[in-house]
Amino acid sequence: MIQYRAFLAMQWLAQRLPRRWAYALAVVAARIAFVSARRARGALMENLRIALPELGERELRRIARQNFRNHSKAYADLMRLPVARIEDLRPLLKVEGVEYLDQALARRRGVLVVSAHMGSWEVAAAIWSATVAPVSLFAEELEPQELYEWYRRTRARLGISVLPLTRAGLKQVLQALEQGEMVVTAVDRDILGTGIVVDFFGRQARIPDGPAAIALRRGTPLLPVTVYRLPDDTFQAVGYPPIFAEPTGHRVEDVRRITCQLVRRLEEMIREHPDQWHMPHRIWNQAAVAAGSARAASDGSD
Amino acid sequence: MKVGLVSPYDYTHAGGVTEHIRHLGYWLRQLGHEVRTFAPSSRREAETEIPDFYRIGRVFPLRVNDSVARITLSFHLARRVREILERERFDVLHFHEPLMPALPLTLLPWRHAPHVGTFHAFATSNIGYYYGRSILRGYIRHLQATIAVSEPARDFVRHYFPELHPHVIPNGVDTERFRPGLPPIRHLRDDCVNVLFVGRLEKRKGLRDLLQAYRYLRVRVPRSRLIIAGDGPLRGMVDSFVSKHRLENVVLPGYVPDQVLPRFYNSADIFCAPATGRESFGIVLLEAMASGLPVVATEIPGYMSVVEPGVDSLTVRPKSPIALGEALTVLARDPLLRQRLAARGLVKAQRYAWRVIASQVLEVYQEARRVWREEHLADGASRDSKEVRRVHGPLSGVG
Repeated sequence: MIQYRAFLAMQWLAQRLPRRWAYALAVVAARIAFVSARRARGALMENLRIALPELGERELRRIARQNFRNHSKAYADLMRLPVARIEDLRPLLKVEGVEYLDQALARRRGVLVVSAHMGSWEVAAAIWSATVAPVSLFAEELEPQELYEWYRRTRARLGISVLPLTRAGLKQVLQALEQGEMVVTAVDRDILGTGIVVDFFGRQARIPDGPAAIALRRGTPLLPVTVYRLPDDTFQAVGYPPIFAEPTGHRVEDVRRITCQLVRRLEEMIREHPDQWHMPHRIWNQAAVAAGSARAASDGSD
Repeated sequence: MKVGLVSPYDYTHAGGVTEHIRHLGYWLRQLGHEVRTFAPSSRREAETEIPDFYRIGRVFPLRVNDSVARITLSFHLARRVREILERERFDVLHFHEPLMPALPLTLLPWRHAPHVGTFHAFATSNIGYYYGRSILRGYIRHLQATIAVSEPARDFVRHYFPELHPHVIPNGVDTERFRPGLPPIRHLRDDCVNVLFVGRLEKRKGLRDLLQAYRYLRVRVPRSRLIIAGDGPLRGMVDSFVSKHRLENVVLPGYVPDQVLPRFYNSADIFCAPATGRESFGIVLLEAMASGLPVVATEIPGYMSVVEPGVDSLTVRPKSPIALGEALTVLARDPLLRQRLAARGLVKAQRYAWRVIASQVLEVYQEARRVWREEHLADGASRDSKEVRRVHGPLSGVG
């Protein structure tokens, strides 16, 4: 509750300040967080070390500090959206690779946009939803519940559906895809712990296999997209060629193959903009991976 | 035909009259006519952003009719407007709220083109109209034809100016934007019965009654949700009511952009319009019906000219939250009744499609032009006869 109150107070302030001031405040907050949030900083550094093994510790630290700053600015964007006008937002987004979106939409099976927890999706999703096609976000619920409710109702205003990672949420995702809509999800962290273990930056990690499974079962194209912040605080969205899943008859193999394809793309995105990969959680969790490989082994023996 | 639409209200600020003008302009263009719009604006850049728009004057918020009118009080812009009128040579000038200061009132006496006036507002009394009657009567003469958006609006203006005989042409609804089958906001589409309110959060919209009614409903139909789409001065009241009574499932998304609003109608099961009065016309009711929603509305003149109780809606006395709650409960419990009302509403909405309305307005334009020509002929004739007398007068004296 206190957390939520604090958030509301910040939000109240952020939406009344000019955009540049809100960012200035965000930068200060990021500095404080970088020093005080040691666990988050440690986890992020660990992840960056694995993603960018060629870089030295000083360089990584610089990227991590930049990462905190960008993450904080993304929160400022989030807080300012409840009063934002679509007309004012539109000039802030440049898009590259729209043709891939058109290719994917042409299949009329909906589009599952797959990305990492990076960049600033808030502004991009808002513009897309209001001008191109309805957007649903399929993501973990925020804590606390009040914050999640706030998030949902401010997204609703912009025409964005926020669907939780639950059975009911999944059902609605499938409905949205059936109607030819876009659903956005991130696969760089397996929150439910139900994914498959694949190679991610040369190490074993659990990655959600839902997108690959949906693509195989429904013929829904998977569209890798990254949205990152440019130095002048505008946004660049980049679409990559869509992945059309072709079933070969061996389902488990197919899911693994397509998930690996996605992960290769994510690695590319993350290495290009490591300062915008907002992942202050451990994703290479040894225990979970071990449990996963045990399960994989027993699957194989069936 | 070349048409000039004149509005007293801030064109870059959402409002009923402004919406009306925007749609009318769009459909007149679609029907092959040229359209220019004159209005004040709080945004300086409006003139370059909006095509064929003339920004005339800055905006001052003025409290009237329990609401805030955003009009210009700049009377000194006459010269610029006159230049534009002379250059553009309109076939018809169409004034909205023709007796509002300052823009319509300033333009009315100039006789550059035939004038049509549309009366939107409705209230039980208007002090300005009452005291200004004798002055305004002089202005009324300059309208060749008049329109009222509803019967209450017509009765209201005729109460002060019985010499006027406005045609009743209702507001239209954009049936291409508002229709069933649009993607809903999916996280609002669960097993709950969703009650939707759309409008500015201000006193005359009956928000307190709506919240009381929802309290009544929740006790009886726990799987229900109230969605209040809009922003305004009563936002704080709504928030505190919700937290004081621990009212669950009330969603306040704030001001919903135009592009998204049709999807909110498609996320609801019941539309509720609890205004306490002084609504001239229920545009939101038409949007709801066009989207395939059954309506619960209050029995105020403006709404009653749109809905047919029992056919496409349930109606209750204004300011009676319990009755409102009962009506909501009946509908929330009866999906078949909802379907039946919605189907009839959908049919009715087609009669209000903007394309239909715009062609009705065009007929009034033709009438105004006819009257204008006759007046001119008469003017010319009387001037001729005066000149004749002046020339021939002395002669006859001689004779």
